[in-house]
Amino acid sequence: MDQQALDDAYDQEVYAPNRAVVVGRRHVASERARARIGNPKRVAYGPTKIEALDIFDCGIRNAPINIFVHGGAWRRNKAADYALNAELLIRAGAHSVILDFINVDEAGGDLFPMYDQVRRGIAWVARNAESFGGDRNRIFLSAHSSGSHLAGCVLTRGWREESLPPDIVKGAVLLSGMYDLKPVRLSKRSSYVSFTDRMEELLSAQRHLDGLNAPLVLAIGTAETPEFQRQSRDFAAAVQAAGKPVELIVGEGYNHFELLETLANPYGITGRAMLTQMKLTKFE
Amino acid sequence: MVQTATARARGPLVWMNMDQKELDDAYDQMVYAPNRDQVHKRNVFNSERVRQRLGAPKRLGYGPVPIEALDLFTTSKLNAPINVFIHGGAWRQREANDYAFLAEMFVNAGAHFIALDFVGVENTKGDLLPMADQVRRAVAWVYKNAKSFGGDPERIYVSSQSSGAHLAGNVVTTDWSKYGVPANVVKGALLCSGMYDLKPVRLSKRSEYVAFTDQVEEELSSIRHLDRLNCPVIVAYGTYETPEFQRQNREFADAVKKAGKSATLLVGEGYNHFEMTEMIGNPLSLIGSAVLEQMKLK
Repeated sequence: MDQQALDDAYDQEVYAPNRAVVVGRRHVASERARARIGNPKRVAYGPTKIEALDIFDCGIRNAPINIFVHGGAWRRNKAADYALNAELLIRAGAHSVILDFINVDEAGGDLFPMYDQVRRGIAWVARNAESFGGDRNRIFLSAHSSGSHLAGCVLTRGWREESLPPDIVKGAVLLSGMYDLKPVRLSKRSSYVSFTDRMEELLSAQRHLDGLNAPLVLAIGTAETPEFQRQSRDFAAAVQAAGKPVELIVGEGYNHFELLETLANPYGITGRAMLTQMKLTKFE
Repeated sequence: MVQTATARARGPLVWMNMDQKELDDAYDQMVYAPNRDQVHKRNVFNSERVRQRLGAPKRLGYGPVPIEALDLFTTSKLNAPINVFIHGGAWRQREANDYAFLAEMFVNAGAHFIALDFVGVENTKGDLLPMADQVRRAVAWVYKNAKSFGGDPERIYVSSQSSGAHLAGNVVTTDWSKYGVPANVVKGALLCSGMYDLKPVRLSKRSEYVAFTDQVEEELSSIRHLDRLNCPVIVAYGTYETPEFQRQNREFADAVKKAGKSATLLVGEGYNHFEMTEMIGNPLSLIGSAVLEQMKLK
């Protein structure tokens, strides 16, 4: 790829011109989900205001937990925009936790504060699961885009930094993520992310597979950018080569944003994969 | 893309405030939904996934010619309700096989799912009447044969999209005495993004391949036969549909209500014509949840 092709491959709108429309649908669907299942409980996991999470309680004691890490090129979106993902989980018998965290623009271009917060949010859930009826032995992750990047980092090294059990996360469904920051650093995303050698090294999950203990489902759509397809394919191959469980699922005809819509559908390609991984059989 | 009349010389108005180009565009989905083929790929892909999970459907004939057949996905419950889906495709494209992806929601909720095949308008010399007759005969066949596959003939529902919703509009306004089944054979229907008044369609470029006549327009404009409507209808459209497809559905829902009958209008914010169909098979979506509620399967 030349510079233009690489820049385009890290610019979703070049490949998904309907981004704003699909994002709008997500907001409407989240509003509708809250009207149907009620507002979440808002709990702080850290000292600053943004360090908080939304808990949608399925009403079952000792139920499994799914923690969602949202995307948005590290700079957009908030937990409230993703309430639609909660309805499927709580109807299937799991608690849904959706994280808020700082964005890269507010962090001065540094991804570490984002990673730190997501890691601490997940650690909070692990340490406080019982407080909301969750089973700490059945914690799962789901994530999209730059959220999958951050989740990948927690799965490979974050648990150790938090002194959590190596197998604290029992499985993860990561949609359309980035697992090697080198090409991202070479792209125009460098105009708002202050990449350093240390950041590239520590926050490229693919370089830390020795710490990975959770079975992974990686998902991409065939209408995504070439780099977003390649990142997940290469990550899946690397995980497999390391002898660890991974499944790559490919959604025919889905772009980066449309693929996420399938997570909120028990019969959608990623929603189904998440329920299967969590052994939730309500919609089978 | 949509070209506004102000950007070119506007022609004489042919329908409401539209000139010929605007009306033609309003009956051409590609102008407003350029991702049509991409969404179709998803439907084919997801249909294959569902067949892998549920198994291949039973293929049953409802009439004498090969195209008069249906795909049946059975649920495990006996005497279960039935949803009969009528596909769209501008009356000339698509087949039942492309819509298996809708089956899983119904089957898992405890209903049988049937997707109808029927002739395309290009094989009827442009005549819509044989298509309407086929889908009506198919519904009558389902009523008469429901018990043979564990279905409850007294709980038949219809779902549909686009030109299929046009045909479903005809189904729910049928004089059923001609088909030997009760007037209330259909207990409820979803009409998603359909056409219910053929006059503006006749004026559009769809006349190039549909041989509209006064008889076709009159008999198959369901909005003119609401006296025969005997079931509640859910009518739906997306805000990214063409102006005419939005208007047709709004006005049909209004007319049903004015006739003192039950209509629920659902508006999919941010959805185009083809993306609306995807919502039918998601039990948590605006449309899927309404259909399950109508069938008392919530």
